[in-house]
Amino acid sequence: MPPLLFKTTLLERRDYGCASELVFRVPPGFQPHPGQFLHILCDGEGRLLRRPFSVFGHNGRSASVLVREVGGGSAWLRRRMPGDELDVLGPLGRGFDLDGEEEEALLIAGGAGVAPLVYLGQRLRERGVRATLFWGMESGKEYGTLPERLGEEIDLRLATTDGSRGKRGTVLDLLPCGSSGAGFRYYACGPRPMLLSLASRLAPGGLSSLQVSVEERMACGLGACRGCAVPVADPPGAYRAACREGPVFGGEELDWERLRVST
Amino acid sequence: MGTAEGVDLRVEIAGIPLKNPFLACSGTFGNGREMSELVDLEALGGLMTKAVTLEPCAGNPPPRLWETRWGMLNSIGLENKGLERFLSEDLPWLSGFDLPVWVNVAGFSVREYVEVASAVSRSGLAAAVELNISCPNVERGGAHFSRHPGETAGLVARVREVVDIPLFVKLPPLTVGMGEMARAVAEAGADGLSLVNTIPAMAVDVERACPRLGNVTGGLSGPALHPVAVHAVWEASGSVDLPVIGMGGVWSCSDAVELFMAGAGAVAVGTLNLVEPRAVPRLVEELRGFMSANGYLTVTEMVGLLRRKGWR
Repeated sequence: MPPLLFKTTLLERRDYGCASELVFRVPPGFQPHPGQFLHILCDGEGRLLRRPFSVFGHNGRSASVLVREVGGGSAWLRRRMPGDELDVLGPLGRGFDLDGEEEEALLIAGGAGVAPLVYLGQRLRERGVRATLFWGMESGKEYGTLPERLGEEIDLRLATTDGSRGKRGTVLDLLPCGSSGAGFRYYACGPRPMLLSLASRLAPGGLSSLQVSVEERMACGLGACRGCAVPVADPPGAYRAACREGPVFGGEELDWERLRVST
Repeated sequence: MGTAEGVDLRVEIAGIPLKNPFLACSGTFGNGREMSELVDLEALGGLMTKAVTLEPCAGNPPPRLWETRWGMLNSIGLENKGLERFLSEDLPWLSGFDLPVWVNVAGFSVREYVEVASAVSRSGLAAAVELNISCPNVERGGAHFSRHPGETAGLVARVREVVDIPLFVKLPPLTVGMGEMARAVAEAGADGLSLVNTIPAMAVDVERACPRLGNVTGGLSGPALHPVAVHAVWEASGSVDLPVIGMGGVWSCSDAVELFMAGAGAVAVGTLNLVEPRAVPRLVEELRGFMSANGYLTVTEMVGLLRRKGWR
């Protein structure tokens, strides 16, 4: 669907530790694809640009995003109260490809990167695809009761850096032993080092079964300004706009070496 | 807008009629296609395209953006698909709209500027050429010219020979002297000035002890640039008798009116487009209201008003 530009009202804010889910009304016809994002104005204090947030939930008349405080803009957004107005542009970008030969999907999330994968998981299950969500975080209390809530709707495995919950280690330590792509499709979103580790584990043969949602600083969100450049493999040296040609890219599309250098 | 009836927003700049005085700045509106999903292109007074170079250009390494307080740094590095595809894909598409198009021409050598500008002029599809001699994000063809009025004049004269449509030159705010540069460009045959490009700028990530931009330095735009643009328009319009399109951090109707009063015959909206795709239609209505409330019937009455009131 073409993007919509709309002002809406915050219906509910659900706080989960370091993050909050913001639920707001959406206009008729709003139909986001998993992996697409919403570009939200975070006004004030000299901030100019919108901030991109993946769609976390959608149920017809409302949608939600998961906001983790990483700077002034997200901090402002997290302080919004029910009834406050939001200025939203979206849905934007290319989302996940839901089709694939493999019948089992591994959803691999680092931190707040869980957001697009939760919505993706819902859509995959509706299509009869078996999906498991692997989620890594710093400590077991970081996202409050969100793991409990998500555990009710999807097969969830947790890893924590401090070992306070789930497996001690990173999210990659949770993946089936020796899995190098065969038989699974991989969907991932999280910090750049996590994506790099995952890609090198799957490379070269498994990259074709990997899709990642990348996080980039963005300006227009529409592909016009070319500010959110992501290095791609073909043609060599080229970039694609994360906001339009992404934020979801196939594992084989990206130039992982240049991504590593710029990290 | 009943109270605003009788207000005439039309302007003419370098002989090009505009239905309203708001253009979209180069680089902030793509070549119209992406933005057309959200805004009626014919609501704009004019469109200045993303910079076109002879060959395709991949642009600078990321990160290319950093937001500062009331400003934005960018180092896009002229990413574009090159002259050939611009002429076959973008310009014909844009010419389907009732919309004057300024094609922003960039190059890495004088020969490239001349070749691109010549082809754009010959296409018959552009209203004007905007010569981008002030991009702070490329080695040659960028900031270099802006420090050398003589070389800039030489480039403008060469391009002038091959261009049959109005030729605008986009200048940076920090040059040897706005008056000197404006005169050099005017004497070389330019038909108008675009003022201003971004200011060279930089930001540092102190935690990681590294530059915020992959290209190390970039250009500052947004409201922080606005008073600098007003000053540049004021200086240039006091030095040469050329039409000026004012640009730099226009965020409101009064920002635009400041530029008119300082001497700009039209204004262009830049960074604001990235935040608010429908900014121009909003500003058009705000300007209509402002003019009506303040008794202006035409935009021209505001252009250069400060000097007409005796300010020097």
